[in-house]
Amino acid sequence: MNSRGSNRNLHTLLLYLFAFLLLWEWLRPVEQLTNTDHIEVFLLFLLIAFIGSYFESNRILLISIKTIYTLVSIYNFYYTGGFFGSSWWKKFFNDINRNIGNIVSGNWYDLSNVFNTLLFFILLWLLVYLLHYWLLNRQRIFLFFLMTVIYLAVLDTFTQYNANSAIVRTIVSGFMVMGMLKFYRLLKVESMVKEHFFTRKWMVPLLVMVAFSTAIGIIAPKAAPMWPDPVPFIKSLSEKSSNDGTGGIAKIGYGTNDSRLGGPFIGDKTPVFKVLASSRHYWQVESKDSYTGKGWIASISGANDLPFQLDFMKINKMDLKLLKGYQPDINRWMFPLPPFPDHVPTTKENAQIFMDMNYPHVIYPSGLKEIIASRGPHFIYDQDLAKIYALDEKQNPVALKNYMIYFDVPKYRVPELTKITDKDSDLIDLTFLSRYTELPINLPARVKKLAEQITASKTNWYDKAKAIESYFNGPDFTYDQKNVAVPGKNDDYVDQFLFKSKRGYCDNFSTSMAVMLRTLGIPTRWVKGYSDGQFLANSKGEPDKQIYQITNNNAHSWVEVYFPGTGWFPFEPTKGFSSDVQFTYDVKNTTTGGSKVTDPVPFKKPQKKLLDPSEENFLKAKKTEKQSLLKSTQKFIKQKWRSFLSVIVIAGLMAAFLYKIRSKWYPYVLILRFRWRNSDEQLGKAYLVLLKQFERYGIKRKNDQTLRNYANYIDFFFSTSEMSRFTARYEQMLYHQTLPPGSWRETRELWENLIKKTIT
Amino acid sequence: MSREQMNPQIESILNNIEKVMIGKRNVVELSLVALLAEGHVLLEDVPGVGKTMMVRALARSVNAQFKRIQFTPDLLPSDVTGVSIYNPKEMEFQFRPGPLMGNIILADEINRTSPKTQSALLEGMEESSVTVDGVTHQLAKPFFVMATQNPIEYEGTYPLPEAQLDRFLLKMKMGYPDIAEEMEVLNGAQRIPPIETLTPVIDLQGLRMLQEEMKDVFVDETIKRYIVDLANGTRNHDSVYLGASPRGSIALMKASRAYAYMYGRDYVIPDDVQYLAPFVFAHRILLKSEARFEGISAEDVIKRVQARTPVPVRRLVK
Repeated sequence: MNSRGSNRNLHTLLLYLFAFLLLWEWLRPVEQLTNTDHIEVFLLFLLIAFIGSYFESNRILLISIKTIYTLVSIYNFYYTGGFFGSSWWKKFFNDINRNIGNIVSGNWYDLSNVFNTLLFFILLWLLVYLLHYWLLNRQRIFLFFLMTVIYLAVLDTFTQYNANSAIVRTIVSGFMVMGMLKFYRLLKVESMVKEHFFTRKWMVPLLVMVAFSTAIGIIAPKAAPMWPDPVPFIKSLSEKSSNDGTGGIAKIGYGTNDSRLGGPFIGDKTPVFKVLASSRHYWQVESKDSYTGKGWIASISGANDLPFQLDFMKINKMDLKLLKGYQPDINRWMFPLPPFPDHVPTTKENAQIFMDMNYPHVIYPSGLKEIIASRGPHFIYDQDLAKIYALDEKQNPVALKNYMIYFDVPKYRVPELTKITDKDSDLIDLTFLSRYTELPINLPARVKKLAEQITASKTNWYDKAKAIESYFNGPDFTYDQKNVAVPGKNDDYVDQFLFKSKRGYCDNFSTSMAVMLRTLGIPTRWVKGYSDGQFLANSKGEPDKQIYQITNNNAHSWVEVYFPGTGWFPFEPTKGFSSDVQFTYDVKNTTTGGSKVTDPVPFKKPQKKLLDPSEENFLKAKKTEKQSLLKSTQKFIKQKWRSFLSVIVIAGLMAAFLYKIRSKWYPYVLILRFRWRNSDEQLGKAYLVLLKQFERYGIKRKNDQTLRNYANYIDFFFSTSEMSRFTARYEQMLYHQTLPPGSWRETRELWENLIKKTIT
Repeated sequence: MSREQMNPQIESILNNIEKVMIGKRNVVELSLVALLAEGHVLLEDVPGVGKTMMVRALARSVNAQFKRIQFTPDLLPSDVTGVSIYNPKEMEFQFRPGPLMGNIILADEINRTSPKTQSALLEGMEESSVTVDGVTHQLAKPFFVMATQNPIEYEGTYPLPEAQLDRFLLKMKMGYPDIAEEMEVLNGAQRIPPIETLTPVIDLQGLRMLQEEMKDVFVDETIKRYIVDLANGTRNHDSVYLGASPRGSIALMKASRAYAYMYGRDYVIPDDVQYLAPFVFAHRILLKSEARFEGISAEDVIKRVQARTPVPVRRLVK
């Protein structure tokens, strides 16, 4: 097939045809997925290239045809004023010049369309040549075929391109080409003349088999995907925390798209921010108001933005001191809404937030009053989402590195809340009420029935909400991040959780509670943010403050219920979590208490029995000595285990890969090992190494097989006589204990040849 | 096995014999091995397959004195060794040598004669001397006995005792020639028996030299170990009542030496041992009766022992 002039036949034509079809599959999605137009121009180029290659036209002629075609196409795409006019040529070459400069300096985004088109033509040209080489010289196409299938699979998975029919076309073309090439390879190996008889005997079954298997493949029922959609997982990996909420395995963290909730989570310890505060708080980011049956969306957003007001007066020394290390110029921004009504007593607190990740939104606790940040960005409050953005002068979002907040921590009075009953819904604006009690039409009726059942004995909203909140704390429900169902096409997310799976994480609990309360006509919204995080250290400068680390693992969602006269009041339905909301039951009694404190206060040490101080110190010292070592190792392992694991995994994979392909490289190592050894003793070692290598190759000497017999077998196997010649020397060395001087040097070539034969 | 360059003198003997012996090169080779190793051969085969022909051709080729003893039940020891007869003229007993006093002796159907006569022959084979009437007579050198044994007749035969079988270096079967060979035999038979046309290619002196040179063939420790392993293997085999004796090991080493020498090598390789082991050991092994009932032959046992005895391919670790 290598000889010139013999390729212009039906077989080559067919090969080219299928190769063209395969290449076409690469071009099809380009039009749909990129802003490339006029794909037919490129197709025509491909055709010309293939036809030229097929007819083995004069190379120079072919090159000029392709060049002219390329230039004319580029001219038609981008230029006017006559093809032969000098003006466009000038522009064209200037453009090329500029783009080459861009390439050299790495400005990939600045490449012009003209240059891109030119590159695309060149790429196609190369591909056609490559295919020509694969088909006619190498007579192998599998790699290209495989790449095509992978390309289509990836596009089908990650883009909106639908490769259903493309994959069928590819399989047909690919298998046809592979089948034909195998036939030609066989002919070549067996040095047979291509005869019609043989050709028919091969091609007819090939055709039948491809047709049959394709037909079966099309008709056969397709199994549902065995694994959840990998896209969200991979995306979450690549974008760290931006879970787009499309179901499937997601990485835990904050994301803006909650339209499809459900599915398992994997933990992610990526730090999000640190807080310096005097107590633990939930940190909110935004809230959603509209439940779709699968997740949450915002019915309106950005329509009711309120700007923060700059307060020039109230910058005090304290703030300056706190933020000094970062930026001397600071601004004080006032939250545009009044925080709490008068009947809710509050305590003032402040906190500093140090972001580890870049988000344009501001993370804040409830009761926010002021934001103090370095000069530059201003803040707006999106009322619909309850979300705060930092913006620059051009209204582009800015990611704050650190800022300080002042906020009021409310102490709700339960008697005030328990006053609110269904009658009081009249107090709420009707559009507001309908917006926060809206439910999907097809929400199963049993959700409402269950909500009514749970709250049957309760009269006011607060008690109803508490009843539902504690309902989720019952034994029926399990907190789980892994084994979590994704609602099917006809499933409701809440219904599935309440009645089928009863297993899930915060989204399941919070959504369910919000929806159940809505069925009772109580306005709720779904709030997203972070739970209180992990205690890191006590503050050095301010003894009453602690530093908390909030990671993606702390991403959380909860429920807020609107109480007329009080505002949005948070509830924590998620099993195992406790909110930091403080409330009092009695106005006169000032005792306060966290609702369900499960996290221990970090710096509170358990009381110990009194010991003799010296003994105590001694024990302590002893203990701490041991513990500090243990702790530092533990800490080290805790912090670095990921990198350790990945290094081990990567090393393991590499080792496995090297082991897998050892037959390709190990013989060279052996040859190199003996290359510089000249003493005749090496012959014996080399011989044993050779035996071992043959064993690895799969032609092992039987235990009772003599060397001579084995050598004959090897020689027969490789059609050579080298092994026998080499073996004779070794026999003499082994069984006679003599060896003529220089034997190894004389036989090394034999040995190397034999070793090389084991390279596959 | 790959064809090696044979010792030219031995090859000429072989070729000479092949002029009259069609086929059966391996049997001829083995006989030569025994001759070189100063051992004796027991041929177990039916009559008429060319045993006599081969021995005669061998004797002629080395210019040796050929004697044939046809063993019959009434044969006496003195018929083999010779007898002292009173010479009235000189008034003394004179020794008249028997057929054993040749170089190459064909002892035909050795199992037909009485144990007494058999032992006379075997003593001669072992000690290369015979004692008649108190006088020890040295046998000729080289001295080579090829005994034959008919395996199909049992009546009126005296099977050789194990201890005496041990005296034979090799035991082998001739077997029938294949069709082409037999056709050729028929063609040859039309003419005068060609055995008469054979000329010696080497004299007895030359043969003695070969026998001496053979002793210089080197047997490495690894090979000795291999031989011992094989002999041990026969002793420990489940089907074996009595395994190969140390004399068997010595015999195998000797035979291997001769074989290596025949192929122009001055050292023994495992291939030699492997090839010869069945011929050396088969008649030295006594199988258990269960094994015999199961139809297992001594050759089978040796093959199995060989299959599980690793061939030495590296130096012994001391």
